[in-house]
Amino acid sequence: MTDCNDTLTTLLFRGALDPDVAAHLAACPRCRAESAAVEGLARTLAAAPVPAPPPALATRVLRAAEPLLARNARRAAWPTFARALAAALLPLPAILLLDFYLVRFAFGLLTAILPTALGAYLAFNYAATLALLLALTYAAIPIFVEHQVRLRRQESHA
Amino acid sequence: MATDEELIAAVASGDGRRLEELCRRWERPLYQLIARHTGGRDVEDLYQETWLRVVRAARRFDPRRRFSTWLFQIAVNLCRDWHRRPPPEPVDPADAEARAGAPAPTDTLLDARRLLAALPEAQRNAVILRYYHDLPEEEVAAILGCPRGTVKSRLHHAMRRLLEMARP
Repeated sequence: MTDCNDTLTTLLFRGALDPDVAAHLAACPRCRAESAAVEGLARTLAAAPVPAPPPALATRVLRAAEPLLARNARRAAWPTFARALAAALLPLPAILLLDFYLVRFAFGLLTAILPTALGAYLAFNYAATLALLLALTYAAIPIFVEHQVRLRRQESHA
Repeated sequence: MATDEELIAAVASGDGRRLEELCRRWERPLYQLIARHTGGRDVEDLYQETWLRVVRAARRFDPRRRFSTWLFQIAVNLCRDWHRRPPPEPVDPADAEARAGAPAPTDTLLDARRLLAALPEAQRNAVILRYYHDLPEEEVAAILGCPRGTVKSRLHHAMRRLLEMARP
């Protein structure tokens, strides 16, 4: 059952008449009398042109959105980075323990065959080299992660 | 072809090319929605601001929702804020003279603009989305954040008011 309000609103906003609306219009002289005004209004609204978007609009939006996109990319890389860091930190205690025994062994060996001061100096250098290698390895993690994220994005584009 | 929801997920991870695709896909409907809301003023700025908000909030987009509903919701909210802004400072007399020399808009354009501008904001939103964008009442309700019955009633009141105004 379609009432007068529904009939005229449908006529204005949908244009095409469904059977219920047509039946109501045929039976209701009040709505029939108003239908011409409603159709005239629909024509007035439909006649209003709107300007077409300027050609370089998408480029302008992209330029303005660059900092936000970069922020999104950084945030999206965080879970990957956290996983990589966790995986890298897992063997760290074992590595440190191994390094400690290696340095202690080297110190014992060097001080046995060399004067104590020279042996200690060489053992210290060995320990410093190991620490530097370890630091470089862990510092490379963010670089590897970024590379990995970029590769994954390129694969998804392809 | 990727869906809008897939594209916005890529935008959430910083993909500019996907954003461009999304922009081009929705350029015309979004631009026209804003132009109708503001009567053609500040359209480019509002259009750009809509996309910036989309990019900013892309990570919070709920993939169970329709992207178009979300996009239009953002644009309608921005237009609402725009209408609440204080009017601009008086224009430079030189600008006003230059504008006076420009061709006058056609009567039909003026009529439709005048009619829409005279509607209360809530009714104007419903008319633009329902009439010009041909969205179903359910989606208009989702965009405007109100029940479907409210949309129906706004459309009805809008029609009555428009008929009154259009009467010679």
